[in-house]
Order: sequence, then structure tokens, then C-alpha cells
Amino acid sequence: MAIETAPSTPSTRIPGLAPRRQTLGQSVIKVITSTDHKTIGYLYLVTSFIFFGIGGVMALLIRAELFAPGIQIVQSKEQYNQLFTMHGTIMLLLFATPLFAGFANVIMPLQIGAPDVAFPRLNMFAYWLYLFGGLIACAGFFTPQGAASFGWTAYAPLSNAAFSPGLGGDLWVFGLTMTGFGTILGAVNFITTIVTMRAPGMTMFRMPIFTWNTLVTSMLVLMAFPPLAAALFALGADRRLGAQVFNPENGGAILWQHLFWFFGHPEVYIIALPFFGIVSEILPVFSRKPIFGYKGLIYATIAIAALSMTVWAHHMYATGAVLLPFFALMTMLIAVPTGVKFFNWIGTMWRGKLTFETPMLWTIGFLVTFLFGGLTGVILSSPALDFQVTDTYFVVAHFHYVVFGTVVFAMFAGFYFWWPKFTGRMLDERLGKIHFWTLFFGFHATFLVQHWLGVVGMPRRYADYAPQDGFTWMNQLSTGGSVLLAASTLPFLWNVYITWRNAPLVTVDDPWGYGGSLEWATSCPPPRHNFTSLPRIRSERPAFDLHHPEVAAMDHAEPDPDLLDQLLGEPDRRGERDVARDRLVHGSGEPEQSSTTIIDDRPRTDRSDGGAR
Amino acid sequence: MKGRTLHSEPPCRNRRSSLRVAALIGAVVVVLTGCSAQAQRGFLPGYDDGQVTNQTGRITSLWVGSWVAALLVGLLTWGLILWCVTVYRKRKNDETLPVQLRYHVPLEIMYVILPILMIGVLYFYTARDTSAITDVTTEQPDVTIGVVGKQWSWDFNYVDDDVYETGVQAQDVGNEGSFAQLPTLYLPVDERVQFNLDSRDVIHSFWIPAFLYKMDVIPNRTNHFQIVPTREGVYVGKCAELCGEEHSSMLFNVEVVSRAEYDAQMDKLRDKGQTGQLGVEFSRLQDADNPPSSRGEEN
Repeated sequence: MAIETAPSTPSTRIPGLAPRRQTLGQSVIKVITSTDHKTIGYLYLVTSFIFFGIGGVMALLIRAELFAPGIQIVQSKEQYNQLFTMHGTIMLLLFATPLFAGFANVIMPLQIGAPDVAFPRLNMFAYWLYLFGGLIACAGFFTPQGAASFGWTAYAPLSNAAFSPGLGGDLWVFGLTMTGFGTILGAVNFITTIVTMRAPGMTMFRMPIFTWNTLVTSMLVLMAFPPLAAALFALGADRRLGAQVFNPENGGAILWQHLFWFFGHPEVYIIALPFFGIVSEILPVFSRKPIFGYKGLIYATIAIAALSMTVWAHHMYATGAVLLPFFALMTMLIAVPTGVKFFNWIGTMWRGKLTFETPMLWTIGFLVTFLFGGLTGVILSSPALDFQVTDTYFVVAHFHYVVFGTVVFAMFAGFYFWWPKFTGRMLDERLGKIHFWTLFFGFHATFLVQHWLGVVGMPRRYADYAPQDGFTWMNQLSTGGSVLLAASTLPFLWNVYITWRNAPLVTVDDPWGYGGSLEWATSCPPPRHNFTSLPRIRSERPAFDLHHPEVAAMDHAEPDPDLLDQLLGEPDRRGERDVARDRLVHGSGEPEQSSTTIIDDRPRTDRSDGGAR
Repeated sequence: MKGRTLHSEPPCRNRRSSLRVAALIGAVVVVLTGCSAQAQRGFLPGYDDGQVTNQTGRITSLWVGSWVAALLVGLLTWGLILWCVTVYRKRKNDETLPVQLRYHVPLEIMYVILPILMIGVLYFYTARDTSAITDVTTEQPDVTIGVVGKQWSWDFNYVDDDVYETGVQAQDVGNEGSFAQLPTLYLPVDERVQFNLDSRDVIHSFWIPAFLYKMDVIPNRTNHFQIVPTREGVYVGKCAELCGEEHSSMLFNVEVVSRAEYDAQMDKLRDKGQTGQLGVEFSRLQDADNPPSSRGEEN
């Protein structure tokens, strides 16, 4: 394997910047005009995390208002409606969806060994569409009538100009259309990158699970977001131009729900699948085993994506306007590939040697939390049971278990896992564990009790309830939990700050020791075009093979080679095991090698031999 | 970081911890099944002195059965996760890698087939109960009620008696006793009631939590459902679909009474002069540019 020698120029500190110290102004200009996929990815991650914070503050206001019967916090119920509308909008469309774009942008090209994405400028354009679209959607708060207040689902005819007049609704409609186009362009970019820019040897069935999930998610985006854009434009035309698309006299009330949920249900999987991918990356590393049932896991992902396009009307059971048996069956069937994923994850841990660094802790937290959301999902799939609990806090609890359990738990797992890859510094483990446990207990204290709240009769989107309803103690428990949940972010922010100031730089490619995918075969952070050289890719764990060559040679297994494998498949590896065993016995194996140069901006001493360790 | 031996010994199972897990599962099952009547209903609204409607028993047993099955699956899966976390921890100074197992095809087939079978069972009972609950064609109703949702209250048309009740939204929901001014829907006990649901403006949802059923009230679409109330009593009703500012004040009461009381209540409405029916022709949307006379009669 070729070992590149270090470039003699000084180091790059921020990816994409010229190799010398920048003034603040220069840095800002460079960052906001960058077409580097990593820089754009960081922009996505930072922006969506800020939106996460804003949406979280709104959630705190909502929970504070519900602490006791009566109206205490907000000035009017209209204001309360604005809060939950924008909370839902921000969390789903301005936080979770672009967070996917952020992780995919930073990680996916690294995982397939590409120097950048296929369309770097389109990538930048998509980000700016997202940012300005998001700002426009939220700008309603600065208009006289306030922001949109018809719920993030914007059911017609409540969302038309007669029932929801005001600029806030218009800004919401057109702002979201704009971010939607950003999401679509991002998905086009990811698909093209994955299809055309994989490194030599990186076959489809050697791609990391995260990359696979990015591909499948992007295809879902291409199916789900154009209908949303069309529906939003039609709604905008109704509101501003006097069109009649969603006039109930033309059946517009149900038409909107079909169009919205035809986007809305796949959207749930658009924000879930990439985060399933993140945990699928983390579990093997901290179990010291390859992912269990790799191909089955991919087929399960594809099955989930396909089924997710056929279940939109399970949000509409109570409308009396949909074919209940069909949508019930399709919805229940999603449980099967989801169950397969669970057993793949458990199978990966089974007889492994688990260590519980912070990323793994978050991943276990995800498994435990998401499982319960999945179970209540199966309950909700049955129309006979859904009639009672739909549009209640049971559903609120269900989708927070599913979406928070997936997006937020896996987001933090991904942050802790890839932080050295992003920044060249590790996050602090102790603060990370405090962060995890406060968030875990805060989350369950907030949302577990809401299942009961919904079952006994509290509808969602209620600004107020009566003392004799008997909801008070449950709401108080939930509000208390939400304070703990919000407070858990403080150790994280402190962690980011303190490690940015004090933590030592990571000098190895793979600080976790057992990383499998290609991003662990380049430096932390990677150079401008990611790799100075690529290792041989002969399995779905090229970095692991590189760092543990003896294991790779001993442990090559393909399950039941099929016709395609026989025709196109593997190189002839006969004899490798004997050589490996021989080297093991005589200790004559080559030392572990890294293919890349470690670059940092500390005084260099004796690094002239390149990065080889 | 060279692996010296590649295949480690499988960890020996700890019998005591597996016993402990079994005892824990047993305790949970006892707690879930054994205690109060409320828990036996799966915490659904209900009463110890009888079912509220002819459908609540069916819904409750499906609910409880589904939850028992779901929690068994959940306990199994949580148990497996917990088992991995406790038993397969990396021990100190154990630097050998575990067996690098990638596939186990029979196991993988098993965990595809088994969930499909379980889903099949749930689907069978779901389809049976859903069609029973939503059925409005096989039996003739004894009483027909027209429900009109409006921002932000309800009008109730007693179709057979040709009288109506009209409501306004609750004032100051957060205060004790504010429910007295709410509109009340009277239903005769043990008679089959058909509800025809119409909306005058936006989408609402007609929900009586004790009946374990809700149905959306959609403009320009009439939804139907039938039930037989089987227990006399007063229940709360709510709007369950966001319908604007006073959504949380769109409350009503339901009184299930004997036939005699029901007839007396009808007479009372007649004496107040509330005869005839209230239609859907008073929409804000439709009034904006259409005088009511230019549109067809709705009732």
C-alpha cells in the first residue's frame, strides 16, 4: 500500500481554507462561500442545531402553559397555537430534515472515498435555500398577527385566507416551499454522488449502512417533497391569488390531507432512516464486530422506505374517507422490517465485547426509547384502537418517542462519535455521560406519562384543560421532565466549548480503534479533498481491514455466494489465510499503517516520514 | 494493536442473573395484570358498573390484548438488549477480538417470519373489530342525531323529533364549574343511535372519550357512525381536531338517559321554540361572498 509523504506546506486549520491564519472576516467569507462538502455540512449541522434550540424553547413555553389549568404564560390561545405550530414546523422541517443533510454532507463522501459531492455549488445553493426559507417561515413572529397558527399539518380549510388571515401563514407557506426545494436539490446531489463517485472497490454492497440509508432517504425525498411543494404552492395560490384548490366544496379538505400525508409519512422515515444509519455505524465499532446481517439490514431499509410510501392514510383513519383495512395492513407490515433492524442491532452486540463510550451510550438509549415508540406505533396502526387515541396526547407521546428517540438520541450519538472527525478533538466523556443521563431521564419523565394523558382523554393542541378533567398532575410531571430535558443541553454546550479550548488534538485516523468505514482511514479532520490515498476496499469495513490486517485476512466470509457473486464477485483470496496465520505465528506481519498524513498546527517535530505510525 | 488469538471463549452464562431477569419479568406481569380494574381496562376510560356503549367492551379487549402482545415483544427485546449490555461487556485486559460473525441465515429468516405471523394475528382481530365498529348499514337506527360542528361549539339536531340544541364555546375552561353552560347532547339508553356529522366551517372531530370513539367532522362531507349507549350517565365530549383559536373550548356534555327523560328533554326544547333543524349554511367562508339565498337548500 502506498504511503503518501506529507506535503511540505503548513497545515490547514479549517477545511477549505487557505493554509495560513485567517482574520475573522476572511474566515466568515470563506465559510459562507465554501463549496467544500464538509464545510457545508457543518453549516447545516450548526444551523439545524440552532433551530433545535429555538424549537426547544417553544416546547418549554408550551409545557409551562400546560403546567396548570387556566392561561398563565401566553397572552392568548392564538399565541399558544402559533407556538405549537412553529415548534412542529421547526423540529421536523428546519431541524431534523436538514440535520440529515448535514450528516450526509460531512460523512457520506468520506465513507465512499470521494473527494467531494457531485455538485458542490448545487450543494451550497441548497443550503442557502434552506437557511433563508427557514428564516422566512419563522419571520411570521415579527408580523402584527404573528406566525402561522394552523398546526404544522396546515389542514384545509383552517389554513386558508378566510380562517387564518395574516402574513404569518403566507410566510410559512412560501418559506417552507423554499426549504423544500433545498431538500430536493440536496437529495439529487447525494444520489448522484453515491451512484457515480464511489472509490475503486467500493461496490454497492460494500457501502457503509449510513451511506446506504442516505441513498434510500434521498430517493424518499425525491418522492415525498415534490408533492409537498405542489401542495404548498396550491395553498399559497388559494391564500394569495384566490384559487380554489382546497375549497371544501371541491373536496379540498380531504385532498389536502392526502397530499400532505403523502409527503408527511415518508417524511417520518426521511428523518428516521439516516439516524438508523448512524447507530448502525456506531454499534459495530463498540461491539468490535461487523454489523450483523448486513444485506438483510439493507433490504429492511429498502422495505421500510417502500412501505412508507403506502401508508400515508393511517393519519386519516378518523376522517371516514379512507380504506381502513388496506392502510392498516400496510402500516402493520412496516413493523416487520423495523423488527429485522432491531434484531440486526442486537445481533451485532451479541457475543461482542462491548464498551460504553458516549456514542455507544446514546445508541443504547436510542434502542431502548425507539422500541417503545415502535410498539405504540403498532397499537396505533389498528384503526379500532386509533379512533380513541388519535389526535390525543397518546399520539404526541408516540411520535416524540419515535422521532426524538431516533433523531435526537442518534444525533448526539453521531456528534460524540464523529466529533474528532469534525474538529480533530474528542468531546469529554464525563460531561457526555452527564448529558446522556439527564436527557434520558428528562425525556422519559416528559413523554411517558403523556400516553396515559391521551388515553384518559386529553386532546393534542389544547391550550387549556379543566381542573375536573384530572389531567393536572400528569401535565405537571411532564412539564417538570421537560425542564430537566432542556437543562441536559447545557452540559453539551459546555462540553463543546471546553474541549474546543482545551482538548488535545487527535493524532490518529481512528481514535475509537475499531472504526470500519472509510472516514476512519483519513486524518481528523480530513484534508480539503478528504484522502491523500485510499486503502484497498475489499469488504464493507475497509478502515478496519487496514488497521487490523490479520483479522481481515483470517476472517473473510461471504454468505452463500449467489450467481451475481460468482460472476462479478470477489477476488481470489486462496492462500491468504495461511499467510496471515504464518505471520501471526512468526510475528512478521507488517505494522498497522495509516494511509494519510496527520496534519495539525502545533509545532512540528519529526513528522517527515509522513503519517505512517 | 495486533490480535493475538482471534476466537475468544464464549462468556459463561450467569444462572443467577437470568433467574433475576425472570423474576423481574414475572413481577412486571403481575403488576400489569393483577391490580386495579383501571389497569385491567388498559387505563381506558370506563366504569365498573357496565359498558358505556355496545362497542366499548370490544375495543377494550382488543386494546388490552394488543398491549399484552406488544409488551411481551417489548420485554423480550429490552431483555435481549439488557442481556447484551450486561453479559457481553468487554472485560479488563481482554484485548482479543470476538468472533467476527456476519450472517446467520436461519436466524434471519426466523425473525422475518415470526413478526409476519404476529402481524397476521393482530390484523385479523383489527379487521374484525374495525368493521364491526364502523358498520352503519346492517341495522336500522332507532334515533338519528345530526351533529354540526362550528367554530367553536356544536349544534345538535334531533332529526326524529325535529328539535335542535345550539351551543357556544366554554368560557374560562381553566376554572372549576365552567362546564355548566356547555351544550348537552341527550341520548336514550339502549337504543341504536346514528350520528350524522357535518361541519359548517373547518374540520372538527367529534369525540366522546368514554365511548372510545371519535370521528372527524368535515365540511362538505357527511360522516356517519352508530352506537348503542348502554349505561346511563353524564360524559364529556370534546373537539379533537385543531379548529382555530378556541379549539380547547369546543366542549360539550353527553347525557345518556332513559326513554322517558329523553322525551321530556325533547319537549323542553320544543317549548323553548327550538324546532326545526340547524343546517350548515352559516359558514364564515361561504358567507363572505355568497348570500345564503344564492346557494341550494342543505336540509
